[in-house]
Amino acid sequence: MRDYDEILTEVYQGLKASGQDGVRLDEDTELVGDLGLDSVQVMEMLLEVEDRFGISIPINILADVVTIRDLAVQIRRLTGD
Amino acid sequence: MGVEPTPTTHTLPLRAADFSSLAEALDYAAEGETGANFYTGGGELQTVLSYRELRREARRLARRLSSLGLERGARAALVAVTGPDFLRFFFACQYAGLVPVPLPVSIRLGGHGAYVAQLRNLLRGCRASIAMAPAGLMKFLDEAVIDEFELRTYGGPEVFDALPEADGVLRPLDPDEMAYIQYTSGSTRFPRGVVITQRQVLSNLSSIICDGVQINAQDRCMSWLPYYHDMGMVGFVLAPIAAQRSVDYLDTHDFAMRPRRWLELISRNRGTISFSPPFGYELCARRVSREDAARYDLSTWRAAGVGAETIRAETLERFAEALAPSGFRREAFLPCYGMAECSLGISSTPLGRGLEVDRVDADHLAAEYVARPAAPDTARVSDFVKCGPPLPGHEVVIRDAQGHPVPERHAGTITVRGPSVMSGYFADPELTRASLSPDGWLDTGDVGYIADGSVVITGRKSDMIIIRGRNIWPQDLEYLAEQQPEVRPGDASAFSVPGPGGREVVVLVVQCRVGDPARRAALVRRMHRLIHETLGIDGVIELVPPHTLPRTSSGKLSRSAARRDYLQRLEESERSAGTAEAALGG
Repeated sequence: MRDYDEILTEVYQGLKASGQDGVRLDEDTELVGDLGLDSVQVMEMLLEVEDRFGISIPINILADVVTIRDLAVQIRRLTGD
Repeated sequence: MGVEPTPTTHTLPLRAADFSSLAEALDYAAEGETGANFYTGGGELQTVLSYRELRREARRLARRLSSLGLERGARAALVAVTGPDFLRFFFACQYAGLVPVPLPVSIRLGGHGAYVAQLRNLLRGCRASIAMAPAGLMKFLDEAVIDEFELRTYGGPEVFDALPEADGVLRPLDPDEMAYIQYTSGSTRFPRGVVITQRQVLSNLSSIICDGVQINAQDRCMSWLPYYHDMGMVGFVLAPIAAQRSVDYLDTHDFAMRPRRWLELISRNRGTISFSPPFGYELCARRVSREDAARYDLSTWRAAGVGAETIRAETLERFAEALAPSGFRREAFLPCYGMAECSLGISSTPLGRGLEVDRVDADHLAAEYVARPAAPDTARVSDFVKCGPPLPGHEVVIRDAQGHPVPERHAGTITVRGPSVMSGYFADPELTRASLSPDGWLDTGDVGYIADGSVVITGRKSDMIIIRGRNIWPQDLEYLAEQQPEVRPGDASAFSVPGPGGREVVVLVVQCRVGDPARRAALVRRMHRLIHETLGIDGVIELVPPHTLPRTSSGKLSRSAARRDYLQRLEESERSAGTAEAALGG
């Protein structure tokens, strides 16, 4: 299982690399609500996460991912399998 | 034994949907070697389901479902995840005399509550007797079910597979019984269940197979379209079975993430038939590099169907250009027009013609409702892609506001009559009467004209918005806005406007009394998130002062007037921005 803080750092890096540079990011930042990601950007972000962490994200878990924390928790769970 | 996909060709003679029921179509396909192949997002072949095996499994499951003693024609709601279970349950219903109702898999980031609400509405709408969701989605179904539904049983596939097999002879659905109910709109609050009989869907399948696509014994289908969409289910689940062709599937979500996988699979398996709304071609055109294109072999792809939303020639031309190194031929494009209310297809371009664009005088069309061909000195030109002549047995008539037929090139409401037109909307006689005349004419809600015998779509009569092939009702967007504490009922208006690249863009104009900029920004962000969670789309949200939205003389909000005002505000702000730029530049 990957370390949670390490995952969090990588998620921040990934989001910054994909155009969220200059935005203040924390664990409570909402991906759609605060960052304003559109549906294509959401897909690109998920693709980036899958490739970066070598995981496959099942569609059903997306329904409960609102904030960066939610995403990091799911990544930790999936990298633990 | 390594997993091999089912073969493209086999010795079973091709029969083109000349069956009296879907069960009979599968009975025949099961005599051959073809079947369905399911690929993972990584492009690996995960499961192979030959039609022979599908028939055996579906009949066994049908006996288990029969043990529940449900009345004939009872609805089975099936969460339509791309995979063997959906096919097995869909055909088990056919054999057991139950009506399958595919339910959407519309899960978005943070959209838990919205998805549960949607499922609940659909279960209520179709009065389901049983419901099935695959393992990962069971929690949503579980939450959606409430006591009043009187569901006999619901659960994952294993719940139904554990039922005892009933004795006796299976009695499949008859030609005049329902084949399925298809929910058409993306609306969460106003679901419309299109009722299609066996006879209706088989007539449409036969037209598509014999005339539209002219399926032959060398064809192989490929699809990432959702099973809960008419093009995905009728076009790429039922048509391959009714013509005994093999089909390769990629899950819709996997396609959305990795669109190039679609092209890779066609290339790898030498697919010949694959359809998509225009946005699918657009996604690929954006992602594919020259090196990618050179790696694929798309020379076998002879029917690249396109429909389900406004077709722009530029989008498809970009795709053809980007994919030229793969051997993709632009003549393969097959623009077509259809809707779930007519099973699937209404009209289809003759094979091998590719895109045919009708260039007309835009001002004349707007002023006189006549599509006059553009002359060299025409001030404003509109380009429309022709969608071909009506499928055999179907009549298309364009009508004026009084319902009278109009001549060629005159624009009006598109109406269609024929053997594939639905019986009506499930349990909704009022809505049915509004769409279907007593003598069988379906009001499509689309506006267009006929040019050289081809159907041309110019817009929509109703306020419905089509985004990425999905129907979006403005009422849903307005409702979301009105649910916010800062917004009062009647303070929101939604519509669509042409955006970059000719794509439709949703606009939500909201009257807002809040002055604080931070609170206004928070309101916009919240609505953006809710629209994404509920409908999976993006849009422009504009906050305006109270009394901005125009009303009709009877006090009702007018979306068309709100749209006109919005476009005017946009033009003014662009003009002033232009002036500012010129001043800076000078």
